[in-house]
Amino acid sequence: MKKPATPRPPGWAHKLLTRITAPHLLEELEGDLEEMFRMRLRQHGYRKAQLFYLLDILLLVHPRLWRRKPSPYPKPVYTQKLYLDMLTHHLLLAYRSSLRYKSSFVVNLVGLSTGLACAMLIYLWVSDEMGIDKFHAKGDRLYQALLNRQLTDQVVTEHATPAPLAEALVHEMPQVAHAVATTAGIQMPLFTLTAGNKNVKAAGQFAGRDYFKMFSYPLVQGDENQVLRDKNAIVLSESLARKLFNTSQNIIGKAVVFQQEQTYLVSGVFADVPASSSDQFDFLLSFEVFKDLMGPGATNWGNTGPRTFVLLREGVDLQGFNAAIRGLIKAKDNAANTEVFLRPYRDKYLYDTYENGRLAGGRIAYVKLFSIIAFFILLIAASNFMNLSTAKASRRVKEIGIKKALGSGRGTLMGQFLGESLGMAFLSGLVALLLVVLLLPEFNQITGKRLVLRFDTRLIAGAVGITAFTGLLAGIYPAIYLSGFSPSAVLKGKLPQRPGEGWVRQGLVVLQFALSVVFIVAVTVVYQQVQFIQSRNLGYSKDNLIYFGVEGSVKEKLEPFLSAVKNLPGVVNASSGAHSFLGQQSSTTGLEWEGKNPEDLTQFEVVQVNYDMLQTLGIGMSGGRAFSREFGTDSTRIIFNEAAIKAMGMKEPVGKTVRLWGEERQIVGVSKNFHFQSLHEAVKPLFFILAPGATWNVMVKMEVGKEKETLSRLGAFYREFNPGFVFDYQFLDTDYQALYAAEKRVSVLSKYFAGLAILISCLGLYGLAAFTAQRRRKEIGIRKVLGLNEMGIVYLLVGSFTRIVAVAIGIALPLSYLLTSRWLADFAYKIDLQWWYFVGAGGVVLLVSWLTVGFQAVKAALVNPVTTLKSE
Amino acid sequence: MKGTQLGEFEELVLLAIAFLYDEAYSVAVVEELSRRVDRPVILGVVHRTMQRLEEKGLVTSRFGEATAERGGRRKRLFTATPAGERALVEARRIRNELWAGIPRAAFGGNPA
Repeated sequence: MKKPATPRPPGWAHKLLTRITAPHLLEELEGDLEEMFRMRLRQHGYRKAQLFYLLDILLLVHPRLWRRKPSPYPKPVYTQKLYLDMLTHHLLLAYRSSLRYKSSFVVNLVGLSTGLACAMLIYLWVSDEMGIDKFHAKGDRLYQALLNRQLTDQVVTEHATPAPLAEALVHEMPQVAHAVATTAGIQMPLFTLTAGNKNVKAAGQFAGRDYFKMFSYPLVQGDENQVLRDKNAIVLSESLARKLFNTSQNIIGKAVVFQQEQTYLVSGVFADVPASSSDQFDFLLSFEVFKDLMGPGATNWGNTGPRTFVLLREGVDLQGFNAAIRGLIKAKDNAANTEVFLRPYRDKYLYDTYENGRLAGGRIAYVKLFSIIAFFILLIAASNFMNLSTAKASRRVKEIGIKKALGSGRGTLMGQFLGESLGMAFLSGLVALLLVVLLLPEFNQITGKRLVLRFDTRLIAGAVGITAFTGLLAGIYPAIYLSGFSPSAVLKGKLPQRPGEGWVRQGLVVLQFALSVVFIVAVTVVYQQVQFIQSRNLGYSKDNLIYFGVEGSVKEKLEPFLSAVKNLPGVVNASSGAHSFLGQQSSTTGLEWEGKNPEDLTQFEVVQVNYDMLQTLGIGMSGGRAFSREFGTDSTRIIFNEAAIKAMGMKEPVGKTVRLWGEERQIVGVSKNFHFQSLHEAVKPLFFILAPGATWNVMVKMEVGKEKETLSRLGAFYREFNPGFVFDYQFLDTDYQALYAAEKRVSVLSKYFAGLAILISCLGLYGLAAFTAQRRRKEIGIRKVLGLNEMGIVYLLVGSFTRIVAVAIGIALPLSYLLTSRWLADFAYKIDLQWWYFVGAGGVVLLVSWLTVGFQAVKAALVNPVTTLKSE
Repeated sequence: MKGTQLGEFEELVLLAIAFLYDEAYSVAVVEELSRRVDRPVILGVVHRTMQRLEEKGLVTSRFGEATAERGGRRKRLFTATPAGERALVEARRIRNELWAGIPRAAFGGNPA
């Protein structure tokens, strides 16, 4: 073997040894090892010597190796009195230092308390969101059945299930304890209920008989086995009962008229549905009644509509069960292209977005987003504290030196500094709590929630937890840094400069400003996108358009009603339809055309309309004509949108015929594309057919500027025409905006958060600039004496901060580009990212930081050098 | 303070320190013991034992001169204290008494 020129023990092992060995043992150990190495080298050769060397080091590993030399002085004996004295001493010092350095105290207080208030608000919101649908006692066994529908190019997941599914599950699957079908989709429809001469609009649905056995909506009156058993039963909420009967006591068996048609008898009363339920309803009717209404559709496995909920028996494995019911629908209806599966009911609210049959998130994304924002804002606020405390260290080195010389251990000092920052955090926490109380109504309005500050253990634990976390986060670095000073050095007046100390401080500033820039870019992009969506031409006009239900006399005499409404002054047009134009509602694959590929599963949205609907909505025609009374036979015709024509690959479509559900229909017109769904989706194929009897929404277009008079006229006419019903209309415009409620909330909230982030960052920068100016005052004095003018000094101070902020901007811009383009990717119609979003955000941050530092710089530059130089 | 009770290996190390007198430091102790006992003597164990002996006040230590052999580092020289001597004497007394008291039959001889 080749020997090195002068054989040495392996260097890395030696280095490792020097790192872990206690200083007072190091020299002799190094010597021993070296001596033995040389001895073995002579006796056994290089390889063995090296091996033994490593072995010796390995066998040295023992607590005694790194245990420090015991102090020759006796340890102080801590008594309770001493603890108390030290505590008062610390408090006194903290109080004095806050009085003495008011500005940095205020900076810390304002920064920490706004950051904490923000985090607390977000905590309230997040815990509210997380709490939705979690109150059901059997929640761990409660599931919702969903369908995966296989289309030509994708799988869509649907809430609507076949009506017989619930019963089939109960009868065929022994693992199922209960299963019910209910009617309502995303929102409960409103119905008119009458008791005596009182009419009330209330949200309700049809539900299977075991509903109250599965869900924890406690019954105040009635038996959970009985209330939904009879076909004429109605179960009311307490508040609805009070509205109808002025009392919720002893009303079992009383009559309630539904839609002025059917009479039901009250069979039970349930406590009002809590706000933490995603299903909100005031009354329930038996699902059997709905089956009668559906007729043959109630037993059809191809139709979907009701939602199905399942309670499994204890200990049933979900995956196994899902595998077992996979082919259930296919077995009933061979033509079906759907598979059923269960998902936990408690995930219904937060995890409801499926892409191609797989769970892709949902509201949980916003919950996560805001939690991250809260954390970052706290981080920014805590960085201020860290920065200012370490910067202030120069003022405290003497205190630390003396304390150490008097025998204070490192632990005691760390305790003092951590205690100070915790104290500061809890003081800020109190201020933050006050802010939260003040801001909560506003916050509720933005988020559309009804959050309240209830001082239960969870909230207190949350608030204390957040505050303590911030205090520790803010105090840990100063505590380690300040307590590590060597007493002899600091008492000689030397401020120990560790390498990397400046880096940490500058790094924190970079972090703060980078986050601020990201926030600003995000706010700009979200705002622009929301604006874009709301001002985008949808292909129809949603302004001044109201809609209300077709019910009672309006249903019986729809034509006369519509023509009378059209003649009211201020009404531009009126029609009725079976679509709200706010989302997908009913679609079919049962359309055949010439040259259709038999494998083709393109879905067409079905819109049943009355005459004049396209005109009322202002949908343009790109060919042919709209439905018209002049022809009289339009009920066998059809109108497609451009997307549908494209999907069918048809040329010259007008005049051709297609087969819909087995019947021939002639194409009379092609409408322009319009957005009948949220702009998250591209325009899908759609057709209109004339079917006045199937419409359930009256739409009325009003003249601009005369909405108020027109509405009151309409209301008077409606009450006269349709006694016993409530004129309950909605603006399509408002509902359209509700489609983007989530985006709007994010837009508004992030604006506030970005503002806060900048404010807190600038507070920190202000404090740091003040500190720097203070520390460099002698240097500035000398420079002035030597002839530098005020501008030069401002430039000197601002320049050093500009570099840091510039680095932050440089890091933040690519990051914010990535984040915003990922967010936008979710929209089918979106804005392009403009360069000025980024340059603007960087510019704003730079400008604000210049203003902050500049103020301090000017102040420092104007000081007479005599005052700074004469001290000492 | 722990008692002056000596462990078996402590006793050996303390004896070696006394034996080496002015040249008692860790490497020398390792060599001395390796020569006499029939098992590997490990530097780390000797080190820790000497630390323990010092904590018990049975030995004192001082830095010696630096040598080139040790890469210019000083060695730590150990000297037994009077307490160390007493502990050794005590250990020997216990042994001697026990030896003296062992009946001959214990090792298979004829009882007296």
